[in-house]
Amino acid sequence: MKLMRAVIVLAGLGVLGTLAIQSGEAVAQAAAPPKIGSSLIGKLEGPTIVLDAKTFPKAFKEAPQLAAQVKAGKLPAVAKRLPEPSQLFVVKPLHEIGKYGGNWRRAFTGPADHENGNRINSIDKILTFDYTGTKIIPALARDWKVSPDGKTTTIYLRKGARWSDGTPFTANDFMFWYNEIYLNKNIVPTPFFEFQINGKDGVMKKIDDFTVAFEFPEPYSYFVAQLAGSTSIGAGLATRGGFQNFGGAYAPAHYLKQFLPKFSSEEAVTKKAKDLGFDSWVSLLKNRYSWALNNELPVMTPWKTVSPINTPTWSMERNPYFWAVDTAGNQLPYIDRITMTLAENTEVANLRAIAGEYDIQERHMGLAKLPVFLENAKKGNYTVRLDPALNGSDATIHIGNAFEADPEIAKFLKNKDFRHALSLGIDRDQLNEAFWLGVGTPGSVAPAPDTLYSPGAEWNKKYATLDVKQANELLDKVGLTKKDGDGFRLRTDGKGRLRIELVTIGGQFVPFTAIGEMIKQQWRKIGIDLDVKELERNLAFTRNGTSENQMLTWANDGSEMIYLFPRHALPVDAAEAHMGQAYARWYASRGTTGKKPDDPEMLRAFDLFRNAFGASEEERVNNGKELWKIIVEQMWSIGTVGQSPAVMGVRIVKNNMGNVPERQVNAQHARTPHSSMPISFYFK
Amino acid sequence: MLAYIVRRLLLAVMTVWAISVLSFMIIHLPPGDYVTSYIASMSASGSAVSEGEAQALRQQLGLDQPITIQYLKWMGLMLQGNFGMAMEWGRPVSDVIGDRLTLTMVISVAAIIFTWGIALPIGIYSAVYPYSFLDYVFTFIGFIGLAIPGFLLALVVMYVGFAWFGANVGGLFSPDFAEAPWSLEKIWDLTKHLPIPAIVLGVAGTAQLIRIMRSNLLDELRKPYVMTARARGLSEYRVVMRYPVRVALNPFVSTIGYLLPYVVSGSIIVSLVLSLPTVGPLLLKALIAQDMFLAGTIILLLGVMTVIGTFISDLLLMWVDPRIRFGRE
Repeated sequence: MKLMRAVIVLAGLGVLGTLAIQSGEAVAQAAAPPKIGSSLIGKLEGPTIVLDAKTFPKAFKEAPQLAAQVKAGKLPAVAKRLPEPSQLFVVKPLHEIGKYGGNWRRAFTGPADHENGNRINSIDKILTFDYTGTKIIPALARDWKVSPDGKTTTIYLRKGARWSDGTPFTANDFMFWYNEIYLNKNIVPTPFFEFQINGKDGVMKKIDDFTVAFEFPEPYSYFVAQLAGSTSIGAGLATRGGFQNFGGAYAPAHYLKQFLPKFSSEEAVTKKAKDLGFDSWVSLLKNRYSWALNNELPVMTPWKTVSPINTPTWSMERNPYFWAVDTAGNQLPYIDRITMTLAENTEVANLRAIAGEYDIQERHMGLAKLPVFLENAKKGNYTVRLDPALNGSDATIHIGNAFEADPEIAKFLKNKDFRHALSLGIDRDQLNEAFWLGVGTPGSVAPAPDTLYSPGAEWNKKYATLDVKQANELLDKVGLTKKDGDGFRLRTDGKGRLRIELVTIGGQFVPFTAIGEMIKQQWRKIGIDLDVKELERNLAFTRNGTSENQMLTWANDGSEMIYLFPRHALPVDAAEAHMGQAYARWYASRGTTGKKPDDPEMLRAFDLFRNAFGASEEERVNNGKELWKIIVEQMWSIGTVGQSPAVMGVRIVKNNMGNVPERQVNAQHARTPHSSMPISFYFK
Repeated sequence: MLAYIVRRLLLAVMTVWAISVLSFMIIHLPPGDYVTSYIASMSASGSAVSEGEAQALRQQLGLDQPITIQYLKWMGLMLQGNFGMAMEWGRPVSDVIGDRLTLTMVISVAAIIFTWGIALPIGIYSAVYPYSFLDYVFTFIGFIGLAIPGFLLALVVMYVGFAWFGANVGGLFSPDFAEAPWSLEKIWDLTKHLPIPAIVLGVAGTAQLIRIMRSNLLDELRKPYVMTARARGLSEYRVVMRYPVRVALNPFVSTIGYLLPYVVSGSIIVSLVLSLPTVGPLLLKALIAQDMFLAGTIILLLGVMTVIGTFISDLLLMWVDPRIRFGRE
């Protein structure tokens, strides 16, 4: 029976999207009793960092393999490789001081999966968030200061820190990035949104060898959070440097100069690129700039690439110059190597996890497979942990507020009462049991109550509980009073039944299409005929760009940090805005292109959002709460079930792994699992 | 005959050019471009691309230019022997494909050897002893092989291997060897992993070949020259193998044209399920990501292989079958 079900699950989920949904349902139904996973959600915990330099360790130890190299004269002594003792990054591990050694086995799915390794190595961000995901703490920079007028943010680097090849890491590496990469229009043609305030560019200045200032023409106190968040400027060299982005705010000048025309000549770098088969020097630079593709790139991360991401094994080994120690003075990380094996599809990754072939794996593990994971836990010698996310809704119905193609439907989509009625017509408990195995939290789009900008727990339930009677009253009130023989409401322009289209995308972490089909059944009771239409992801996103979707299902992950990642909460980012891309373009271009929203509340939300970046911490938090109230009240997106482990929250941990938290914060800005400090994990 | 070969060659070049236009068009048929897909895939994996980054990417990759210009650029590059950049991989297309080509060919050739090694003897046996007990048994097994989709068989084989034999799930190497440089042990490791993909890939083709071989040979065995040969007292082995089998092989030779592209692509779905690092999954991912130079080059490569394969099988047919050879002259 066990085997059969596993085979069915795997066969179904494997290749055919439609099959995946059906077997997902089958598992969900077989998963009674409900709340299967609630016992798997542990206590939120994690390592802390020591900030008082007086308590820092004075003597240092290192991994045996490095000690051997020191003995052989291939490496300087550990104290010489670490920053000055007062400048260290000191970690107090979650449970105990660990042991050196081991090879951390994981899965990755190919070169597009670079986030897999980035997130383990994210400590090379300038600043970061602690294990709770709420407090900003130092990372690469040892400290920071914001000027009283909010226009200047200064960061202080760790004296004596070194690149992985032993070259000193200084403010010059920041200035190199700024002058030679960021300001070079061939490399970065469009300035980063985060490096601007109200459309005005910031500048970077070197104060001394270990001090860098970011200056803005207007107050930009929120820039500190941008440096700590998963942003173009703050996410570090590993994550945002090179490949596609060229962000990260610093770069190894001593290594990269050879690929830039300024330091040789346009002909020389072009020839170098052509000789290696690249079409231009920019392409070659992109490749050489990426730590995942280029194992020669000097890095500031705990592990550096050995076998690059475009081979069947993406492997990493410890960086002998990594700048962190534990409270006993052991240089981190504890784990020697990370080996990620290529899984051409996520099903293979899940099956291998069940077989116990991965030591810690949270990425690509499916919630629908939870029963199979639990059945095999003993045999595979692992523990299953669930890490609920902080965002309100994994399957959010984003309303196409800028939709125009059908004036009748557009009229209703723009009507707040109509949107409320749709929300009140959803039975979220049924969805939660069927698709989240009961481990999610039904509610609105508002983030978890214990997050920074949550307006309060009552807003998670507001207009988000099943009330068919009230929904019907609202629909009658907006003028949809006539019904046809089947009980469906008729259009007011006499063109038959009111049919609304919900676009869904297959193959995601939660089965959007099956969820849509269940909502279709639920909305029968309020007389709304829903047409669920599964589209290929690119097509759905392209139609968003032209505001052709009436409604689209997508997650609202990351929205708990609304100023760092607003795109799933408000239409302000033209790169992705499911609730009205024309409005986002209007906002982002400050009114020069796109369409001005006609909803005054949306304009009010835009103003609140815009003003937050220069505001004081307290003002900004209040502002954020107010924003969420507007978003829930106006319901430009309808929330269903969220705060769940569906996305990267099903964690398989082998029983011999130490210092791994019971529960870790699962959030984009925390760059999970980075916030749990993989440098302090070890093999018992 | 020389004129015939020259004409075929010219036609082949024209076909290849047409394929390049078609493959480029196919990649541009879906809405959006690589950057749309990149934004969507980043959003799906809990990360983000900003509008500025998206614009920068489009500009660097030349996606903001009209499709004709993009095509001419690609053509221009190819004439210099450069197939462009694989966008998702950040490396030249030729490197990305080259990495996987050898293993793909190893797997495909193993599968072909398996298919032919099984199908030919069984086909001959079935034709020589038609409607015998073993003929029915082979036919039955063959049809089962034909009826089970490769990916399903792959899943079952993989699960059985994992559950009862503790085999590594998918892939071509054990974790210990995946990174190791080539050595005798690594080749042995590969040899141990090879049978599963080879059998799964080969089984589907086996039944078809058995049936073709059987019916062709049956037709031949009924012909008068076979009877004459028997009457002359030739040994049964010579009677069957000397002429009828050779004639019956014609259809095999003409399918070589389709084998070549198969050898370089592997099977997409089976490779995906078994997590084999072959060109098949590469093509699928490139198409999903709209990585146009990579997808275009693979499709073009498949087209070129089909053209070359057809050309070779034309030549081979002339060589194998005297009737074609003499008929032409």
